[in-house]
Amino acid sequence: MKFQDISLKKLSETMWEIPREGGMRVPGLIFASEAMMGEIVRDEAVRQVMNVAHLPGILRYSIGMPDIHWGYGFPIGGVAAMDLDEGVVSPGGVGYDINCGVRLLRSDLTASSLKPRLPELLAALHREVPSGVGSTGPLRLSPQDEEKVLVDGSRWAVSAGFGAAEDTAFTESGGKYPGADPDAVSDVAKKRGRDQLGTLGSGNHFLEIDEVTEIHDEAAASAYGLFPGQAVVQIHSGSRGLGYQVCDDYLGDMADYMRRNRIELPDRQLACAHIRSPEGERYLSALAAAANFAFANRQLLAHRARETFLKVLKTGPRDLGMRLVYDCGHNNAKFEQHEVEGRKRKVLVHRKGATRAFPPGDPEIPAAYRGVGQPVFIPGEMGNASYVLAGQPGAMLLSFGSTCHGAGRRMSRTAAKASVRGRSIAQDMEKRGVLVACASWKTLAEEIPEAYKDVSAVVNVVHDAGIARKVARLKPIAVVKG
Amino acid sequence: MKERQYRLLPHTADIRLEVRGKDLPELFAASVEALFSLIVDRRRVRPVSSKSWNVSGKDPEEQLFSLLRGALLLFSSDRFLVRTAHATMKVPGVEMKVAGEPFDPLRHAADREIKAVTAHGMTIERVPGGYAARFIVDV
Repeated sequence: MKFQDISLKKLSETMWEIPREGGMRVPGLIFASEAMMGEIVRDEAVRQVMNVAHLPGILRYSIGMPDIHWGYGFPIGGVAAMDLDEGVVSPGGVGYDINCGVRLLRSDLTASSLKPRLPELLAALHREVPSGVGSTGPLRLSPQDEEKVLVDGSRWAVSAGFGAAEDTAFTESGGKYPGADPDAVSDVAKKRGRDQLGTLGSGNHFLEIDEVTEIHDEAAASAYGLFPGQAVVQIHSGSRGLGYQVCDDYLGDMADYMRRNRIELPDRQLACAHIRSPEGERYLSALAAAANFAFANRQLLAHRARETFLKVLKTGPRDLGMRLVYDCGHNNAKFEQHEVEGRKRKVLVHRKGATRAFPPGDPEIPAAYRGVGQPVFIPGEMGNASYVLAGQPGAMLLSFGSTCHGAGRRMSRTAAKASVRGRSIAQDMEKRGVLVACASWKTLAEEIPEAYKDVSAVVNVVHDAGIARKVARLKPIAVVKG
Repeated sequence: MKERQYRLLPHTADIRLEVRGKDLPELFAASVEALFSLIVDRRRVRPVSSKSWNVSGKDPEEQLFSLLRGALLLFSSDRFLVRTAHATMKVPGVEMKVAGEPFDPLRHAADREIKAVTAHGMTIERVPGGYAARFIVDV
């Protein structure tokens, strides 16, 4: 099948190969159904998968997930693993919001028991959890404390009293990326981060209360502490202005590096440096620091949410039973062990709008989940559904231990806003059984459900491809949008 | 005060703008104002204090990129909002002077967080009546 000069080879009902051509070092591989593929090929994302395949040291495939869409350099929903000696690291392969991710908190409450208190709870969460543009957090970090955040991530937050010790055990990488160097983070980036720890941000970031409406995998749901009718809390946020600034700072450095080293690529946005070069190493230590900031940020947000539940419901921690199921990023570059050409080796995996999805038995995931696989959270459009998945062995064979990260936008922000003119989104959402509080009505208009692809279709692809299995379906009942 | 014109172009995930100006200084100033129009209702921003900075760059695109990066930092690092902007060509670069005030969450309903101004896809073209700039901001 050819689309606008791009050849696509159907490998199965869920996988498409873009054969090597020109300067591509590896083929492209896109996970999508035939119906989705028709939509995906309409924007620049497929071309971007091909561009990424030109990067020095890329291994096996340049990969696109079913929620793929046009991003900066790399597509959003892109995965690329690199050889450590020949390969490069690219800030565009991680994104501006370094270690943006999702965490899920379970509870012992049912959604129906919560319903009468929901308006009050939503108002309190909206008040207590700082959100929106220019919001500041509950702390103003001293430069010394900020350095500790950059080095220790969630572990700093827990040691400062924001959460329980077990929280870090249920966070990807234990809530701390190794190798973080605060000196690799510019003063401007640090200044931007200083008063933003514990803030949600804006755009597609949210904090929501969901109801578990379907269980697809009893064993995994039980291991994760999930049951039908349960109220759970989902938080989506990242490294705030600190992470954006780290990305921005290093894009400039990498453009210089490419000029000096005569690296030529089809797109300037793929600015990169060799992993082993001083520039590459410095970016990776800044990235680790920003990733740690993101872990600490979500830890503070979760702590504040938990405290708000306790206060509003006038209950104790034991009755609430609110504990962290897992926290997982979806904008990263990580050193991991993967099998390439029959040999297990350390590689650098870029995931931009893609989630790690390690299978059962992997030593990287908490012991409590090792029998069922790593939890993965796929937030959908706000009126509809989100999914809890579990990583599967297919992910290690096909996608360097990765899966999708969300529904993926299908409509531009302007088109979304134009389509809601004259409509009350809050009322629309209420009709669907979702209460909404937001910092900006304009942002809310850009985040309407129609602006996104159908999350169930996205999740069905990764389920059928065997890279992540459906565990539970969640339906939002109260949403705080930034 | 005459509001300068800009328009949004289609982009799935981010925001792509087109800004016009009768000459390069006008184009640069209009671009900085457009950036702030994405963040806040600029009519609510009072031009009570001013800031200025200089940029260099080998061509107008590079100059515009540096000007917009500097403008975004005014908000993201110093929490300053711009109401009006004025640019002057100075050999070898551009001087940007802006008037505005510190962000006050009670008075300024900020609408959108801009993560960064991106260099890619930034173009400046001669068009009838002056210049048009196109650029993408990551949101």
